[in-house]
Amino acid sequence: MAAAGPIDTTLLAALLATQLPFVAFAVILLLTRSRPRFSAGLSLAAITVSLLSAGFLLVRHWGLARPLEYSTLWVASGDVSIRTGFLIDPLSLLMLAVVAAICFLVQIYSLGYMAGDPGFSRYYAFMSLFAWAMTNLTLAHTLLQLYIFWELVGLSSYLLIGFWYEKFSASEAGKKAFVMTRCGDVAFFLGVLLILLHLGNLNILDLNGPAAGRLSPAVVTAGALLIFGGIIGKSAQFPLLTWLPDAMEGPTPVSALLHSATMVAAGVYLFARLFPFFSLSPTALAVCLAVGTVSMLIASTMAMVSRDIKQVWAYSTISQLGLMIMGLGAGNYVAGVFHLTTHAGFKALLFLCSGVFIHSFHSNDMVAIGRQGGRRLRVPMACLVVAAAALSGIPPFSGFFSKELILGALADLPNPLWVAAGLLGAFLTTYYTFRLIFIILFPAEGGPETEHSEDTRHRHDGGYLVMASPLMVLAGVTVFLGFGEGAIARFLTAPSGAQPGASHHAWLPYAALSLCAAALFLAWFEFGRRGAAQVGFVERIVPLHALFSNRWYMDRAYRRLLDHVVYGVFSRLCARNDQKVIDGAVDGLGQATAAAGGLMSILHAGMVQYRLIVVFVSIVFMAIYFFV
Amino acid sequence: MSIPFGYVLALSGIVVVLGMICAVARRNLIMILLGVEVMLNGAAIAFIGAALRWQQLEGQAFVLFIIAIAAAEVSLGLALIVHLYHRTGSLNPEDYKVLR
Repeated sequence: MAAAGPIDTTLLAALLATQLPFVAFAVILLLTRSRPRFSAGLSLAAITVSLLSAGFLLVRHWGLARPLEYSTLWVASGDVSIRTGFLIDPLSLLMLAVVAAICFLVQIYSLGYMAGDPGFSRYYAFMSLFAWAMTNLTLAHTLLQLYIFWELVGLSSYLLIGFWYEKFSASEAGKKAFVMTRCGDVAFFLGVLLILLHLGNLNILDLNGPAAGRLSPAVVTAGALLIFGGIIGKSAQFPLLTWLPDAMEGPTPVSALLHSATMVAAGVYLFARLFPFFSLSPTALAVCLAVGTVSMLIASTMAMVSRDIKQVWAYSTISQLGLMIMGLGAGNYVAGVFHLTTHAGFKALLFLCSGVFIHSFHSNDMVAIGRQGGRRLRVPMACLVVAAAALSGIPPFSGFFSKELILGALADLPNPLWVAAGLLGAFLTTYYTFRLIFIILFPAEGGPETEHSEDTRHRHDGGYLVMASPLMVLAGVTVFLGFGEGAIARFLTAPSGAQPGASHHAWLPYAALSLCAAALFLAWFEFGRRGAAQVGFVERIVPLHALFSNRWYMDRAYRRLLDHVVYGVFSRLCARNDQKVIDGAVDGLGQATAAAGGLMSILHAGMVQYRLIVVFVSIVFMAIYFFV
Repeated sequence: MSIPFGYVLALSGIVVVLGMICAVARRNLIMILLGVEVMLNGAAIAFIGAALRWQQLEGQAFVLFIIAIAAAEVSLGLALIVHLYHRTGSLNPEDYKVLR
């Protein structure tokens, strides 16, 4: 092994992990679109190699002491030079492994879920595009590279939400997601430009290193807040959160992959990526903390009243992302990133389980699923309960450990308000999660249960196994990942040399657990016990119910804004300009041409003798010109 | 040479102009062809006169060519006209405007 030193294999593995999905995307789209099985195989092969490379990288660099950089010059203009390449450090390795693993599992699951869909090849092409963009985003070496793949991830999200584009609501939802995240991305891009102007380059390590400390505090705060705007858009935080529930119009595996486990977590990932930079500005951290808290609480309240199973998970995704941002905003890097990792596992599991129900019963409504006998699907039901327990933070499951870390970080803050909000969020989360579980598990009255479920089991027999195997893998991860807390924390903090923030709040786990138990009991009392009315306490308070189920009227406010300001003023002015000025000019040009043509056509008599006259007259004039 | 060269040129010019008028003004394909022939003859007169004036034989040789070509042209032209008459039943140039 003379040529292949350790550095070469690392670079090779990084290249394989990041670039193969693009090859699959291009080949499927250009060549094999008409052969769905081959396309799916291609995409799966690419993501498998990607996953193996990611695993190889993670194992090889476990305990990495200092970040590795591979880069080449990409853009040089004046004294600004932008490099492109890979940045390999614990955070990016962990995220790469998470992304590749979830992509892989979801693609396998999709073999069953999307079977027979006319757009099967297209689906796998887009999945590969997403895998390419997301893996490159995680290993991005400069902020600009990260931004480019950030946008590509947004593009693939748009394409996959609107995958069933014949459905009007789906194409609308795709558009909404694209436009709303774009609002945040504009802020992000401005932040990137601001940093480029003041720092001179966009290298993430420079940004996190001592160079950023020499910037003036105002610039750091402005840059951090602008970049946080991008995070708000991508991770569906407070003002821009309504796109995520609508994004559930896409196929369920897409929701599992993009809109819960990986893509929306890219915002949190960016926050973690630039965590040292953000920590230079206490103001920015405070804003992040506040935005995370507000989003977490608002989204939890929305989830308490929704009947659509996927929407509940969408709201809980928003609230869990808010929790991660709270953890990071509270200054605990490990807590946020660890919760990101565990959340990716159990939230993907939740969505994939729900996908099996939706696939079998052709309904998103949890009550309908319960009535049709959702509990008969044993494997998804058991996995759903495991994942729900993890989401609620019940001890042996992974969510418990990461939530405790975040709550501990919040308890470290001087103001007790934050930890109170965190505990309230944990209470609400447990409540709405088990509300859903109990509604499916203990349906109020047995409907036409037996014959329907027999029927569906029979029909989806082959796909069922394909879909169930990723579920079991993810459930295993959910059960055991929590015990890796110490190892992951040491791995993450190795380069910075800091100790994992061990917070000692002996009362905290008890408080959190008793709140969980209270919420569990409340949910059981209202939905689970025999003869329960299955009406939540929120639904009894009419104005509160209206407020929550209308998403706090945020959509309506946006609609107002759109109708009155955007459509009413800007669009109308633009339409005027278009009709009067641009159309007028173009029409005028056309009419003038037509009129000139009409004039000229008088000369065009179509008669031999007129032409002869012209010939003779011109000869005479030429004779006069030359000889006289 | 008894007749001055200027007179010959004037005669040839008059014949050419007459041919022009005939070609342009008559509404009959045969008469247009005839007009063109007359113009060729006018040109031939100018060549003959010039050959006399400078005592060179090339002018007369040219005229022989012109007459030969004119004969060929008339035969071709008349054949075309007969064919057109068969197709359309009209010799009026105003009727031939399919390409308009």
